Amino acid sequence: MARIELKNLRKEWGGAIAVAGIDLAIEDGAFVAVLGPSGCGKSTTLMMLAGIYRPTSGDITFDGARVNDVEARGRNVGIVFQSYALYPNMTVLENVMFPLRFKTIERTEAERRSREVATLVRIDGLLDRRPGQLSGGQQQRVALARALVKRPHLLLLDEPLSNLDAGLRLTMRTEIRRIQRELGVTTILVTHDQVEATTMADRVVVMNSGRVEQQGTAEDLYERPATLFVASFVGSPPINLFDGHAAGGMLSVNEARLPLADPVQGAVVLGLRPESLRVNGSGDSGRTISRISAVEPMGREVLYTADSAFGVIRFLEAGAEPRHRESDDVPLGFPPASALLFDKDSGRRLDARVAA
Amino acid sequence: MAADNLVAARGAQARPDWPALARRAWRRRFTGQSMLLAFLVVVSAPIVLPYFWMVVIAFTARTGGVASDVLWTACAVIAPAVLIYSIVHMSVPAPRLRLAAGLVLLAIAGALLAALIGERLHLDNFRFLTRANFVEEIRSKATSGAQFPSVWNAFFNSLLLAVSQTVIILTVSSLAGYYISRFAFRGRSVFLQGMLVLHAFPAMTLIIPIFLMLHWIGLLDTIVGVMLVLAAIELPFYVFVMKGFFDGVPWDIEMSAMTDGATRRQAFRLVVLPQVRFGLIAVAVFAFIRAWEEYIFVRTFLIENKNWVMSLYLFWVSDDVMGVDYGIVAAVAVFYVLPSFLLYVFCQKYLTQMTIGGIKG
Amino acid sequence: MPVFARAQLRRQRINFALFLGPALVLLFLFFVAPIVIDLFLAFTDMGRTLAVGKFTLENFERMFTRDTRLLGALGVTFIFVLATLGIFNVTFALLLALVTTAVPPRLGAFFRAVWLLPRMSPSVVYALLWLWVADPNERGLLNQIVMHVFDMPPIDLRNNHPLLVIILANGFIGASLGMLIFTSAIRSIPEHLFHAARVDGAGSLAIVRYITLPALRWPISYMTIHQTLSLLVSFEYILLITGGGPFYDTTVFSLYAYRRAFESGEYAYGAALSLILVVIGVLAALALWRLMDMKQLLQQPRIEVH
Repeated sequence: MARIELKNLRKEWGGAIAVAGIDLAIEDGAFVAVLGPSGCGKSTTLMMLAGIYRPTSGDITFDGARVNDVEARGRNVGIVFQSYALYPNMTVLENVMFPLRFKTIERTEAERRSREVATLVRIDGLLDRRPGQLSGGQQQRVALARALVKRPHLLLLDEPLSNLDAGLRLTMRTEIRRIQRELGVTTILVTHDQVEATTMADRVVVMNSGRVEQQGTAEDLYERPATLFVASFVGSPPINLFDGHAAGGMLSVNEARLPLADPVQGAVVLGLRPESLRVNGSGDSGRTISRISAVEPMGREVLYTADSAFGVIRFLEAGAEPRHRESDDVPLGFPPASALLFDKDSGRRLDARVAA
Repeated sequence: MAADNLVAARGAQARPDWPALARRAWRRRFTGQSMLLAFLVVVSAPIVLPYFWMVVIAFTARTGGVASDVLWTACAVIAPAVLIYSIVHMSVPAPRLRLAAGLVLLAIAGALLAALIGERLHLDNFRFLTRANFVEEIRSKATSGAQFPSVWNAFFNSLLLAVSQTVIILTVSSLAGYYISRFAFRGRSVFLQGMLVLHAFPAMTLIIPIFLMLHWIGLLDTIVGVMLVLAAIELPFYVFVMKGFFDGVPWDIEMSAMTDGATRRQAFRLVVLPQVRFGLIAVAVFAFIRAWEEYIFVRTFLIENKNWVMSLYLFWVSDDVMGVDYGIVAAVAVFYVLPSFLLYVFCQKYLTQMTIGGIKG
Repeated sequence: MPVFARAQLRRQRINFALFLGPALVLLFLFFVAPIVIDLFLAFTDMGRTLAVGKFTLENFERMFTRDTRLLGALGVTFIFVLATLGIFNVTFALLLALVTTAVPPRLGAFFRAVWLLPRMSPSVVYALLWLWVADPNERGLLNQIVMHVFDMPPIDLRNNHPLLVIILANGFIGASLGMLIFTSAIRSIPEHLFHAARVDGAGSLAIVRYITLPALRWPISYMTIHQTLSLLVSFEYILLITGGGPFYDTTVFSLYAYRRAFESGEYAYGAALSLILVVIGVLAALALWRLMDMKQLLQQPRIEVH
């Protein structure tokens, strides 16, 4: 177990920048998710933590000590890869025992510990099989056992669930969470799936183009996104974004005009979450008559697309049955506090609100 | 509970000595890489040195002797230069600086070489290119064997043999490779397995019956005969290589070509062949180099000296004047090896794409 | 419908002749026919005149009872194949593949290219280089080193250690094929396995032992059979460098058959000797065939029309 810190960490491949200087502190025993689109540098960061890649500059510290130059084998880190990377020529037990081969541990003790971890991740019935004979979920558990058996300072999970089908993914999500809680091992999960990140981790770090956009709880990211990128990446269906212009206490977006509660000037982006928009809500701002152009029932809610004064807008309504039909005109509005305003040039969220 | 054990055990675990681990890692990486490189340099030197020696002889030797001092002087200049450059390369990460250092070293080494051995270099040994009767000039007419043909005669024979064999192999193996890769026909698996056995089968063992066959059908001592034999015995290998390339072409594009109205023959010509062009280049280069270097079969099947190819020419030159004039033998060898060498250097990236039965070669 | 079917059948025949015809003709003429001729020849008395006088078992009788040279040739072949294969074509090839994949990629590619140089250069040139290296007088490259660096008398490798020369000469070439095949096998191991092993605490040697070598089991057995066969039948470099001599000291079995036919003019006897190699060749080819991934090779075509 360890407290992990990244200080201005950079990684370049030739001229290409994969990680552009990130700072991050992870408390002992915490479960942190790194969330971002593919190619944002999250896996590169993970590989630097594992000691597979060497940082171009910046520092990685474990409990305050710089470990940049420590090889992977010296770091005592456990890792689960997306492909699981099980050794095909070894049985499950041999796979789990493999990391203990390189420690001064008696064979009997190593086997005892391996069986113990196997029980923990519930693969104790599969120990004599080979990886080729296991299902995806079982392989995943073996990989987890192998990562845990050496009692790592740090557990790294690289998109561990993306090769599983939907049902299994749900189970493994809870499983990994349970095991992490039981062991209290510092854990970093890398994923592009926001649900995975927010349900499993205590804290989520959003990365984009090699930089950290924001870190915080799921609630922080959803309700107080620091940047346009976070706002558009977190939340499903995605947030509605409209370019507008603020002047003299009024925000103009296409044909719509909204009064502002705080003084803002210049180019502004207005963000409206589909789930905060409602028809006929009392005390709503920006109410406009919108014409519905598409109705998509999604099971327990219905997604509508409509032409509003802001432009094309999407909103959600709870309930399985659609209450509006195509070509219906509905009065669409939103609670003033739910509207998000961003500076168009910097992409940062403005600390300003729409007036009631 | 298992987890409790794990947690309890972790509490007792000692804090690692991170700085010591970092030092050890650095030391291990440095010594490891240097040892591997040293190993490669040591084992590769016996290959590079003889080739270098050949070039040195070709450009410096005069009748009756070789200039071994030139070889070692050159080595004494080049080896430190390479060593210094590799140290620079390992310790300087910036590509500009590396390039600059390389150019400076190159200039220094070049100047040193020019000063030390520049005046020893000459092109006399390449006189065989213009004088067909150089063998008689070296030895007295009485002791020399039969009249030597011009080197260009052998060169064009070699070129004819290599090019025509390459064309045959390219055509036949791409047709057959495509057919067994993509067509369903009765006996396909039998044919494939038969080809597989033939591919592994050593054709060298058949040299005696092939010799007799050529004799019976009147193709002995002709370039055409050798060309057909070489093409045939290498064919199973190339058919499999081409099959491997065709296997890699997605079915979808062929299917869409056919729904667009192409026949299979048209689909092959217009859609599939362009997809495997790198494979065709690889096969062509490989086949050319193989035919260019062929010795045993041409030695056995070609007799008259007007039919000599380069390998026979070099062999007889070295047989005739080796003891007397190393320089001219080395010059012929350099002349002979140059086309293969250039093709190999410039087409290496294609050659590495060849696969056979799922194994890359 | 029958019209379509007939047209389809005709097209099928034409395609078969067009695509496969040339290959079948060439293979039959210069590959299958010679095997049959060899079989026939082995039971005749063909000599320098290239005429068949009678059918006889004499060749085999001579081979098994009277030919004293043959035993020596077999011994030379055994040592030659075993040493070249064991030291170079498999072991050293493996070592080269492991080392060139462990250094930076460009350097690795460079050294692999160096090792391929002998294979790519014409055999006569390569043999010539060996003659110059092993030249018994003070001009030989080896002797220049031996005499000036170690201050020893010149050595005559070709006369005193001829077997060593042909093993080295063949080995330097033989190592490159295995090197290539092992290299691409190592490359095809998923990178995550190496990463996982390093994180699990394995050092370089442990990674070779537990990750790389298990993945190379199949290519190694393939190379072993393939190279045994090719060493067994190839005599090109031996013929060029030592000519099989001094005396018969480096005359391997295949060269012996060649010399009997083309030097002594005993074509029938040469053919009979070759027949043994043909049989070994077929057996080894069948063994290799079992190693091939037949399922992948025989994948059914997905377009059924012609």
